[in-house]
Amino acid sequence: MPTPIEDPNKEAFLERVRTALGRANPILHTPDHPSLKATTLRQEEKVRTIQAKVIARRAQVVSRLSETATEASWSVHRASGPEQAAAIVADIAEHARAKNVIRSAEDIFKRVDIDASLRRKGVSPSVLAAGRSRRRSDLKRMAFGADLGITGVSYAIAETASCVVTPRKGVARMASLAPPVLVLLIDEEQVLETLDDFFAITRLQYQQNRGRSPNYYNFISGPSRTADIEQTLTIGVHGPGEVHMVLIAN
Amino acid sequence: MAEVKTRQFKSASAKAIRDPQIQRALGAPFAHFTEGRADIIAADFGDESWEAMRDQAAAIKSHTIERLDYYLDLAEKMVRRNGGHVHFADDADHANRIVVEIAKRNNVKTVIKSKSMVSEEMGINDRLESEGMEPVETDLGEYIIQLAKETPFHIIAPAVHKSKEQVSALFEKWIKSTPTDDIEKLCGIARDVLREKFAEADMGISGANFVVAETGTVVLVTNEGNGRMTTSAPRVHVAIAGMEKLLPALEDVALFLRLLPRSATGQRITSYNTFVSGPRAGSDEDGPEEFHLIFVDNGRMRLLKDEVMREALQCIRCGACLNHCPVYRKVGGHAYGWVYSGPIGAVITPVMTDAKEAKDLPYASTLCGACRDVCPVKIDLPRLLLHLRHRSVEGGESERSSTWAERLLMRRWHNAMKTRQALEGSSRLGRLLQRPISRKGYIKKLPAPIVSGWTKSRDFPALADRPFRVRWREDLDQQAGG
Amino acid sequence: MKVLRHLGVDVTFPENQTCCGQIGFNGGYRAEAADIARHFIDVFESEEHVVVPSGSCASMIKVYYPQLFADDPEMQERAMAIGERTHELTDFIVNVLGVTDVGASFRGLVTYHDACHLLRELGISEEPRSLIQNVRGVELQEMAKSDGCCGFGGLFAVKFPEISEAILGDKLENIADSGAQTLVASDCGCLMHMRGALRRSGSSVRPLHIAELLAEGIDDSAPQRR
Repeated sequence: MPTPIEDPNKEAFLERVRTALGRANPILHTPDHPSLKATTLRQEEKVRTIQAKVIARRAQVVSRLSETATEASWSVHRASGPEQAAAIVADIAEHARAKNVIRSAEDIFKRVDIDASLRRKGVSPSVLAAGRSRRRSDLKRMAFGADLGITGVSYAIAETASCVVTPRKGVARMASLAPPVLVLLIDEEQVLETLDDFFAITRLQYQQNRGRSPNYYNFISGPSRTADIEQTLTIGVHGPGEVHMVLIAN
Repeated sequence: MAEVKTRQFKSASAKAIRDPQIQRALGAPFAHFTEGRADIIAADFGDESWEAMRDQAAAIKSHTIERLDYYLDLAEKMVRRNGGHVHFADDADHANRIVVEIAKRNNVKTVIKSKSMVSEEMGINDRLESEGMEPVETDLGEYIIQLAKETPFHIIAPAVHKSKEQVSALFEKWIKSTPTDDIEKLCGIARDVLREKFAEADMGISGANFVVAETGTVVLVTNEGNGRMTTSAPRVHVAIAGMEKLLPALEDVALFLRLLPRSATGQRITSYNTFVSGPRAGSDEDGPEEFHLIFVDNGRMRLLKDEVMREALQCIRCGACLNHCPVYRKVGGHAYGWVYSGPIGAVITPVMTDAKEAKDLPYASTLCGACRDVCPVKIDLPRLLLHLRHRSVEGGESERSSTWAERLLMRRWHNAMKTRQALEGSSRLGRLLQRPISRKGYIKKLPAPIVSGWTKSRDFPALADRPFRVRWREDLDQQAGG
Repeated sequence: MKVLRHLGVDVTFPENQTCCGQIGFNGGYRAEAADIARHFIDVFESEEHVVVPSGSCASMIKVYYPQLFADDPEMQERAMAIGERTHELTDFIVNVLGVTDVGASFRGLVTYHDACHLLRELGISEEPRSLIQNVRGVELQEMAKSDGCCGFGGLFAVKFPEISEAILGDKLENIADSGAQTLVASDCGCLMHMRGALRRSGSSVRPLHIAELLAEGIDDSAPQRR
């Protein structure tokens, strides 16, 4: 895809900014802002420390995620392994009386066989991804018609009970957005402790990838909610009103 | 450009005070915001940590504003490298033209919008309608006021002034729904209508809570899911950002994600945070094919130019200052006459619109400082209000707005206070003049212009017959005389 | 005066004084305010301590004089120097004299209003409370939102009387709900405002300046030498 062209008004605009600030010339070097100046080497060191910390404190971090998530109105399920996880997902679907279930096409489903566990309950999940039998234009309709969506995550952040969902090939945005019930499968190894952990790692990925990172990712930190009418809380507006976290131990 | 009704502040605020529904809305519901904020700060951080966070955030924002050209340039380069388009709009009309051009080029019929205060400045909805398109607000509060044809009553909770009965009536009128006073049902009605719009929309317009310069990333902070819908479902996504919304680095986001939701609604974090840096990748399953980011000036350059007012550009639009302002909590958002209300509204509106038309706004404050205490980026709002007051007295032609009556009164005060003789002379005159109107040391009705407002509801203390000075002197004389 | 003398302070009232200038400053009339401020500095400069029985005036002198003279380094220095030696009354008694019990006595339930400038500009909130609580016979009953603005705001009260009145309404409600018969504050503006409305409504709540409270019954107690 060709790089979009620069807005003809840009230079004049920036010039006006400089005039307003009382500065004649543009700034040519990276300003003295620590997070901005840290080199890839430095960042790698930082991320190594984070990863070591997370590994060493895994039990506490996962426990904190579980607590924070419960406070934030997630339903939290702990699975001892992939088989139990698959069974939990099927139970959730049964409890939600879900008929139309969609899931993403991710590696985690190779280990956690929810297709099988759901079929045992009489539900056949559809994969929300373009393929031989599916066109992109159908995906939106499928997503909006689904009762329950299941995807994996890139990370889960304990501090805020935030699950990071990164759309890409096989992972449609709509899968975690359109259905009223959402189930996220999380390996305990994917759990980070703080927002800083996540952004440090993401920044490193950005630096290592020559200044490119996914153009879109989302934090999901609880059910969709609003208090716009009389400051009274209502759960479940445009996004899923029921959100489940299935934490899978190693 | 949104209509400016700042001239009507006095009458609009008096009207709001007499409106029982508005007063009810400004009372208890706001405790959710203020107490929620206090509770979560105490639970998660404690005062000392929170102070340190505020200091850090203020420093980052101040650093960014001082180098705004650099960071705008960096953000622009990054977004374009990611495949997105970046536009620079000088004012509301310019921004509207850009949006309409994008919409026309893409044969857009339905436009879904998530919350954007800048888009309110632009009055984009009216403009899109005049082009034969259908703009639909998807944030529930914004949707309600769109139906009511009103402007936002609050930066975060645009429809907080509406009772559920009023909402039900609006839905009945415009969507033909069954009346109900069940809030959950009302939300369900809106959800069903808007869900259809999500599915059919050709273009989504969002705001931008932050723009990360380093990676060219627009950050959205939402609760309902409409932010995600607006940026995922349609073919085209346009993000509109005030030019000051930048943060230098990706790692800065963590701090601001901690400060914003707690300051705004007392939440640890909102249900969704969306990070958009460009259009979908070719291999993505869904997502917009075209991404546009529009940086808007619309008067912000004037704030930037003034070394004192520049601080106002640090604002992250959390609404905490509104929630804690004794004036806002009595008059509500509409009285301020433009898009932004409360202390931040009083500060930026005169500069971004017209100082003379908005001359009441900087004076509509007791300077109590509660806003400054809660601002997550430590904007010294009282100082900015004082600065604007000074400008309205001694500023340039476009700013000066003090009335002759007030100048006269001030000159009198000035003369009376210059020396002790002047003061004592004025006091003697005052004691003489007050005789007909004071009883038992109090005045029930002040006659003068300007000051007569006091005695509408309060007694005014008369000057003492034997002021302290006199007693002091008598005391001294007595001691000297033995 | 009575209280300070009782505490052994050699206190005088320089008769040439006029005003701190805050009304002009807050109204945007900086040039006029600077004139008045210059006069204040001239009058009080030679004093060891300046005691101010009003939080807003004290904050004007200590916090805003340096800002007022930002373009005049010489005046700014003089302003800062006098600011150091200026204290609001309770600040002076507690932090300079080191006294929290002045020896006063007063029977009754008292509630205290935190004046905005005193609280937020000068950080004074514990000092008046210690002094009040040590008055024999007093029971301090906090009102809800004691730190809520009373709605005076100087010029604001006459420029926007309806808003001022509405804000004051909340404050009066909180005072009434506290059950206290006596309201105490250390700011003349706030007191004038609240007293005006209490009187108009015929309320039995008695508004007192903290100096008036602290002066109660000290004639009968032993004078305290520093």
